[in-house]
Amino acid sequence: MRLKLFLLIAVVLSCSIAAIGQRNRDYDAVVVKQTRIDARDLGYPPIDVIPDGESGITSLAVAPNGALYGATSGAHAHLFAMNPRQGYVRPLGVIPNATLVVNALAISASGDIYIGASPSGHILKYSPAGEQDKQTEIATLLPVKDMGQPIAGETISTLICDPSANMIYGLSAPNAHFFSYSIDSGKFTDLGIIAQSIPAGERFERDKTVSRMLVVDQHGDIFASGENGSFFRFDPRTQKMDKLAIQAPAVPGREPWTCVDAFLLDPSGMIYGGTSDGYLFRLDPVKLTVTNLGKPLNQYGINGLVRAPSGRLYGMGGDKDEMARLFSYDPATGAYDVLGFVDVNRRPYYTWQADVIGAMVSDSDGTIYIGENERISKLYLFYPAQ
Amino acid sequence: MNTNQLRQRLSPRIERSRFVLRSAKMAVSSCVLVIAALTAHAATPQSTVTVDFRFFPGLGMMDGNWAALKAASDGKVYVGLACHGCDGHLVYYDSGNDKMVDVGGLNELTGEAGLGLGPQSKIHAKFGEGTDGRIYYATHGGWWFDYARFATPEGYPGSHYMAYDPKSGKVVDFGIGPRFEGMNTGAYDPKFNRIYGLTHPRGHFVYYDVTTGAKVDKGRINNWDSICRTLGIDGQGNVYGSFGAGRIFRYDPRTDNITELSARIPIRQKGISLGRDYDKSETGWRVVVWDQETKKFYGVEESASTLFSFDPSAPLDSQVKTLGSMCIPKFGSSRNVPYATLSLTLGRDRKLYYAAAGAEFDYGGGADVAASHLITYNLRTGKIDDLGEMRLPDGRPVVGTNSADTGPDGTIYFVGAVSPDDVKSSADYGGKINGVPFRLALFIFHPKKD
Repeated sequence: MRLKLFLLIAVVLSCSIAAIGQRNRDYDAVVVKQTRIDARDLGYPPIDVIPDGESGITSLAVAPNGALYGATSGAHAHLFAMNPRQGYVRPLGVIPNATLVVNALAISASGDIYIGASPSGHILKYSPAGEQDKQTEIATLLPVKDMGQPIAGETISTLICDPSANMIYGLSAPNAHFFSYSIDSGKFTDLGIIAQSIPAGERFERDKTVSRMLVVDQHGDIFASGENGSFFRFDPRTQKMDKLAIQAPAVPGREPWTCVDAFLLDPSGMIYGGTSDGYLFRLDPVKLTVTNLGKPLNQYGINGLVRAPSGRLYGMGGDKDEMARLFSYDPATGAYDVLGFVDVNRRPYYTWQADVIGAMVSDSDGTIYIGENERISKLYLFYPAQ
Repeated sequence: MNTNQLRQRLSPRIERSRFVLRSAKMAVSSCVLVIAALTAHAATPQSTVTVDFRFFPGLGMMDGNWAALKAASDGKVYVGLACHGCDGHLVYYDSGNDKMVDVGGLNELTGEAGLGLGPQSKIHAKFGEGTDGRIYYATHGGWWFDYARFATPEGYPGSHYMAYDPKSGKVVDFGIGPRFEGMNTGAYDPKFNRIYGLTHPRGHFVYYDVTTGAKVDKGRINNWDSICRTLGIDGQGNVYGSFGAGRIFRYDPRTDNITELSARIPIRQKGISLGRDYDKSETGWRVVVWDQETKKFYGVEESASTLFSFDPSAPLDSQVKTLGSMCIPKFGSSRNVPYATLSLTLGRDRKLYYAAAGAEFDYGGGADVAASHLITYNLRTGKIDDLGEMRLPDGRPVVGTNSADTGPDGTIYFVGAVSPDDVKSSADYGGKINGVPFRLALFIFHPKKD
């Protein structure tokens, strides 16, 4: 009888909560712990802020001086910066002729920002100078120098910089060219195609399957994933691109649609990555082996992977139709922790939850920056436990 | 949440400002609200206003109705009945024949019965009537389980865009629109023949173009916990909704673009004492109706039930005007005004009719059993009247409503909760409010001619 009464009360209470249909305190248990996360608007609302519809954060990078730079995608693409000592986002201007900058901010050793702008497919150089003293005006064009288009007729799907070599590497779309750009000589080189064909699929599927990021290992080799989930390695010394006999982890049969969403070079020399199916893996760039570390979430995608000073890895999972969750992985124990939704609850000042993540990066202080990629987007700051 | 917790949340606390920059504006707004409350508040109420009612036969277990009420041009009154964890139902009341008809369960109508999917538990948004006479709407989910089942095989598959054809008596299913998401809010525009909506939980503005079959997602508008509950459509087919702190957006179907307007509705700054600070992160309008004669929207703000008008074509600094308060006068300008209902409609007599809750009301989430009041606003005179407690002919109180519409003959309809005739089993009531069983009913009010 007591059990029935308890169940009845439980049903009534749960009905009450559902009927309200809004947040209740149970929800606090499914989001990231609130003392470890915060959010920033992309500017100074309501006027000097990157407008909704143009604020999807799709690129983040940390400069040698510790400043965070980010690029957005939307009706217009914007560049913004955050000085960690100041802690607020400063919009720097509209990136000329760009609506998309996806994983395509590459920062050189000198601190110049190279922007892979799409759909123009040009690389634009922004040299930070006196940003702190400039008036923020959202519609202002970002002062950039056009360094040219790496591959004629192609957009840029990702960029990375090897600061020690003063080289930039990238992939183009739709034809998956791997290219390089010498900062010293200003020369572009087309180094080949890493996906020859569009994988078999439905008629609405028209894209080649290539990695959404690149990674430079400790020896200066560059890794990408290409067709059939295969890894490719470019050796700058020999200027040779090799298709390796290793693939990104996938359920057998799903390799043609598998790509690497995120790469991370660990100080140990190992490369970690996350796949479009949501697997975490470790790639040994010397032995050329891949270890499948499993799936932290029952969701697709790993849209960002970073390392904290503790050695623990943090990543975001979730496809564009899903609700993203933050997870961590401890390489020492192989254990995952699912930390929950990226939700910032600072009532009465601001509250927002990120459903789709576009970029992620960490700085040397251990702050993890998470960029939301939606019509209305915020920059999230996550402070992992040490 | 139990009643004590809710009461605790309703206890007075110090109101905190949201942004320093906005403090001055809010102070001005607060003054305006207080002045408005003092000068334009409802007159002394009559004791009661009698409303007729009809139960929904065989559907006693339905547990809610939000916005889904349409008095169509043919005299049929369409209602969406919600059932958490089970099948919502589409029903209509044939006012000409005084007959209630159950069109069917939403799982059956969407072809999802027996698939083990999260059920189509609700029509949670407004119906619309097309020039073809069809009734357009979209479905919604019930349970969300803190989104632990979002985008999973057992989770909610997504809202269906649908139409009911009164000529054939058949339902047309246009298929799922937003994957995994429900249609929290909706409106149909006969001019552009589109069903518009705001999705739950991701707060996206979406639409289905009935003519072309296009399903479009224009991106995010709201945070999941405070999705705007009414989309208003003006005479030109522009769609309006609220977001952020009292802001308004406009979607123009000619350009397919969303514009965020500078106009702001008169919101009340939130504080813990409002009891809903944890439920709502944004502050907006609860309900709006379009008046083709004045070419203005009239709406009720969600927190203090402030009545306002919004003239989209007016100069930017005078688009929004505060008109008074639609809450029950006893609440006055106190902090604890019950959360605004969706029960606002424009009568044929140029009066707004609003069913104000007597206590915080959300069906099973209601705080206490208290009679709703029928409040009117006369668009000709600007006078607000409290017509009194809404009671059935046998004296039972209407204990809350969340939808309203006006029939072609001027009859005012509401759907809400009332105590059942008799309770023999759990199938005879939809839930309990503070331990008291309630059942859904259609309430019918015939305004007196002036």
